[in-house]
Amino acid sequence: MKQYIIIGNSAAGIAAVEAIRQRDKESKVTVFSDEDYPAYCRCLISYYLAADIKEDKIVYRPESFYKENNIELFLNKKVSRIDPKKNRVICEDKTQFTYDALLIATGASPKFPDTQGIKKRGVFGFRTIKDTKEIAGLLPVTKAACVLGGGLIGLKAAYGLKKKGVDVKVIIKSKQVLSQMLDFEAAGFVQRKLEENGIEVILGQDAAEIIGNGDIKAVKLDSGKAFESSLIVVGKGVSPNIDLIKETQIKFNAGLIADNSLKTNIPNIYTAGDCAETFDATLGRHTINALWPVAVEQGKVCGANMAGDNLNYAGSVGMNSIEFFGLPVISLGTYKVKEGEANFEELRFCNTKENLYKKIILRDNFIVGALFVGNIGNSGVFLRMIRERINISPFKDKLLQESFGYPDIMDFVSEDISYGDGYLNKKAT
Amino acid sequence: MSENKFQGDAATQEMRKIAQDLSIQTVWERSLLQEPHCGFGMLGICCKNCNLGPCRIDPFGEGAQSGVCGADADIIAARNLLRHIAAGAGCHNDHGREIVKVLNLVAQNKAQGYMINDAEKLKRIAQEYGIKTDGKEVSKIAQELAERLSLEYGQQEGELVLAQRAPKKQKDIWRKNNLMPRGIDREVTEALARTNMGVDNDYRSLMMHGMRVALSDGWGGSMIATELSDILFSSPEPLQAKANLGVLKEDQVNIIVHGHVPVLSDAIATASADPELIKLAKEKGANGINLAGICCTALEVLIRKGVNVAGNFLQQELAIITGAVDLMIVDLQCIMPSLPDIAHCFHTKIVSTNPRAHFPGSEYIEFKEEKGTDIAKQIVRMAIENYPKRDKSRVHIPKESQDLIGGFSTEYIFKMLGGKYRFTFKPLNDGISAGRIRGVAGVVGCDNPKMKSGGTHIALVKELIKNDVLVVQTGCAATACAKEGLLTPEAAFKYAGRGLQEICAAVGCPPILHLGPCVDNSRILTACCEMVKEGGIGASLDELPVAGAAPEWMSEKAIAIGWYFVASGALVVFGLPYPLYGAKKLTKFVMDEVEEVTGGRWAFESDPIKMARIMIEHIDKKRKALNLKPMMYQQ
Amino acid sequence: MKQLYYDVKKCLGCKSCEIACALAHSVSSDLFKAIKEEILSLPRKKVISSKDKNYPVSCRHCKDPKCVDACMAAALVYDKEKGMVLHDEKRCVGCWMCVMVCPYGAIRPNIKTKIPVRCDKCKDKGEPTCVKACPTGAIIWQEEIALPAGTLSEKR
Repeated sequence: MKQYIIIGNSAAGIAAVEAIRQRDKESKVTVFSDEDYPAYCRCLISYYLAADIKEDKIVYRPESFYKENNIELFLNKKVSRIDPKKNRVICEDKTQFTYDALLIATGASPKFPDTQGIKKRGVFGFRTIKDTKEIAGLLPVTKAACVLGGGLIGLKAAYGLKKKGVDVKVIIKSKQVLSQMLDFEAAGFVQRKLEENGIEVILGQDAAEIIGNGDIKAVKLDSGKAFESSLIVVGKGVSPNIDLIKETQIKFNAGLIADNSLKTNIPNIYTAGDCAETFDATLGRHTINALWPVAVEQGKVCGANMAGDNLNYAGSVGMNSIEFFGLPVISLGTYKVKEGEANFEELRFCNTKENLYKKIILRDNFIVGALFVGNIGNSGVFLRMIRERINISPFKDKLLQESFGYPDIMDFVSEDISYGDGYLNKKAT
Repeated sequence: MSENKFQGDAATQEMRKIAQDLSIQTVWERSLLQEPHCGFGMLGICCKNCNLGPCRIDPFGEGAQSGVCGADADIIAARNLLRHIAAGAGCHNDHGREIVKVLNLVAQNKAQGYMINDAEKLKRIAQEYGIKTDGKEVSKIAQELAERLSLEYGQQEGELVLAQRAPKKQKDIWRKNNLMPRGIDREVTEALARTNMGVDNDYRSLMMHGMRVALSDGWGGSMIATELSDILFSSPEPLQAKANLGVLKEDQVNIIVHGHVPVLSDAIATASADPELIKLAKEKGANGINLAGICCTALEVLIRKGVNVAGNFLQQELAIITGAVDLMIVDLQCIMPSLPDIAHCFHTKIVSTNPRAHFPGSEYIEFKEEKGTDIAKQIVRMAIENYPKRDKSRVHIPKESQDLIGGFSTEYIFKMLGGKYRFTFKPLNDGISAGRIRGVAGVVGCDNPKMKSGGTHIALVKELIKNDVLVVQTGCAATACAKEGLLTPEAAFKYAGRGLQEICAAVGCPPILHLGPCVDNSRILTACCEMVKEGGIGASLDELPVAGAAPEWMSEKAIAIGWYFVASGALVVFGLPYPLYGAKKLTKFVMDEVEEVTGGRWAFESDPIKMARIMIEHIDKKRKALNLKPMMYQQ
Repeated sequence: MKQLYYDVKKCLGCKSCEIACALAHSVSSDLFKAIKEEILSLPRKKVISSKDKNYPVSCRHCKDPKCVDACMAAALVYDKEKGMVLHDEKRCVGCWMCVMVCPYGAIRPNIKTKIPVRCDKCKDKGEPTCVKACPTGAIIWQEEIALPAGTLSEKR
């Protein structure tokens, strides 16, 4: 009988727990969460803030899940240290637990810039349900708010605030919104949509000072311009929660480095999710792809391997799906073309009037990135082509067409019949 | 295989069971196999007019919203509808053309077995065409009329003579809106030209021409067919006969005549009564020759010669499956191509006779009017020779056959209403004004297996006469009601409302008047003109308290007929929708906006009681507008 | 457990399955009324042409569903008993993660209703509507084991 310990009770942790239980119903499984809240759908907090959904819908796994699967859950119990030599974890409250296999899925926390005044009351990250509830609590007395950062978190926060009737300004250092996700042109579509719906976007500026005595009154930008604001949400990225491995030999970079079984350099310690660095084929190097579906995928592989399986993790790919006021946007892989690299190619379609944009980024006839604005219909097929590294030369001229779809790549992918339905007379190779 | 949910009259049900036992596929099985019908077709948004296609519009908004040429749903559906009207009108006009040909031959004494039966009517019609008749020989009048009619078929400009019968207000509407047909063949040809890719791309314009085409049928080809058939074969007066498969006889030679043009059926009717042939039949062991008919040609010889009706459109295969039909002779329209295959399961011979209409598996004997009598006798002789080949053990004739009375022409209605000494429409108009009769409804058209209850005509007609609406009928719709026993005076007392009963009793007529075959829908136009002329119930056709319905339409001809009534100011209800719901603007035009042009409109309703409601409400609205007295015996 | 199979040789690309599918998921289930509904139903199945053949594409209810993994609201779940991926509309927020990861492109977003459009094998009707709607019988509904050996290509 093994003892599994999972540090982290969100996407990766729960996926791992389910994968373990699929294979091993007997061994002990213990999950630690540093949040005082049951497992919840983190990505839904902006909808919760906007009052699009009620609190009951934000639960990811109810209490019964742990009971039915015989899982020991500790909420509000932070693991502060790991001792790999003794195969044990030590919590903040000094309690200790031993393990046969350990998964570190501690996620990440919002980064705060060292702007003057950033520590005042009224400045929030936007990561946890706690953040959301605190922001929500201030809304009745908030007329104007500022969001620092033009990434997904920042824009989702802006949406939530705007929906609740707050005047919102988004302050972005770069020259476009969503600079990690979208190219300049695609970002333009999103920005126009935001502005049409009353969210002001300020580009090429950073907050220089947060003004107020205790409570926030205003924000001053680099340019010297200042805005009234009593609430600030910081969306300037997250940094992995990996303090707990500091005194160990576990290799890390920005996050914990994982091999293709999602093990760390220590054989019985695994890592997954926003704290893990995995190989990204579109970038050609290790990186953290802090995305919910990626975390779930990784958690599954970890759980399976912890329980004795031998799955190979093919690597992570950036993938984001978001909709702003009826405009859906999907970004896959990377859009950033390396300067000077000769074998990159871009296929592009743009129809500004109908809010349609499509861009495929190719390297040596393999797709490394894809952007979709307005029409996201068969983006999953493109994600598949990226992950399965399909050479697109046989159908390159069809890639941008509306009629492109799975049947065009059917002959070039391998499929397990256990994928449910099938096409008879498929060409056998 | 989905359950067989079709109902229908007892004889039909009985024969369907036998067909199933013999594994013979009939129209009902084929109908089920086609289900579900193509959604694009049903919505009217499929276009096959050119090779840029075939194109379809996505009715759920995601896919293509126009064909390759750029035509949207309204253009596509309107083009389809115009072509259908043209096809239906083409059939009727061609039917008329055949009879003009015979008139011409008769005038030259070249048609064997044909003659002018109603010389008085010939003179009247000739006078309408501006031909002087005083002191002229009948054959000369006939010759001049035939030539004049031929010219009208080919006329390029001007107006149709018979369209002048319409009240002035109607003609003014037609002239003002360019709806007055300029010639009979011209309008159909132009319809085909307009619906080519890249010609008429305005749904309204297409529909306006559609009305013109339909009028060239109703006041042109069909009316000519009706009037000339009366001239050549006699103007009908009510006759009694029987309807349904039970009219076939076990001990006689059974001949069925099927199709449309009375030129053939009349000759066969005469030949079947030939004493020499009857003698021959007896020599072959039969007790006589029994002629019966299917579809409109049956009704042509029903109303003039009292020939029994074996069944309507859907029953044509079942007639053969009785095993009792020695020969079925067909000309054209509404004849199923499945008949020869079914006939081969029995001894039945199928003989096709018209160069336009070939049926592989049948014997083709071209019917030439110059040798009309000879060919008719030849064919009847074939039937007699075939009689001994009948396998008596496989004969199964249902016993159902109902009495019916048919043959109410406009001229007869004058007589009927006027009594012995006067010809008048007054009692009808008075009856309507006084509130005994609510109005007049035409219930016409085909029968269709898509209407699984099989009793739509019956339910509709019963509801109408219950509400004191006098019903006139033609075609297979009339046969359907005949089979149910509704075409008898007794039905007045069983099902009619009190006001209608009183009129029927006073006049001595049934509550439902069988006018004849489908071309005789033109008699309804003529009768409406007389009602207007008589006065008191409207100064134009669209003011009359009348409505029309085709509860189970199947043929393109029904579309043409429906549209010549709409163009003449009538509400026409179709039981099954015409495929156009995928074209929203066109739908609005035909069901609503067209009323502002001609006073008529189209409606779709499958439930017979609701259909009756729509017609009654419409009739009541017209009554109110005319300030007629309220209904005497309100329901 | 019955599955949907497609005999590609027989698919004419007529899209009758698409219309029947949209109709089956409309409010009124009556063709003439369905096209007038305020929010038009969308077909869960799309016919895609590739080279000279036509392929109906709809949710394959994968045994290892990528969409279930990606769903951030836990609205998509795999039901082992039914052998189907089920969608709980009440939990769904319309984030389109499922659209993004479906390896067959079998899910489309309905922006108006914020619900992903995906095949549910007409679970309330006993048999998928597209099966009967196909005029050539290209859509087949039968038990997985009923197919003759080698019918599906067994590539790895």
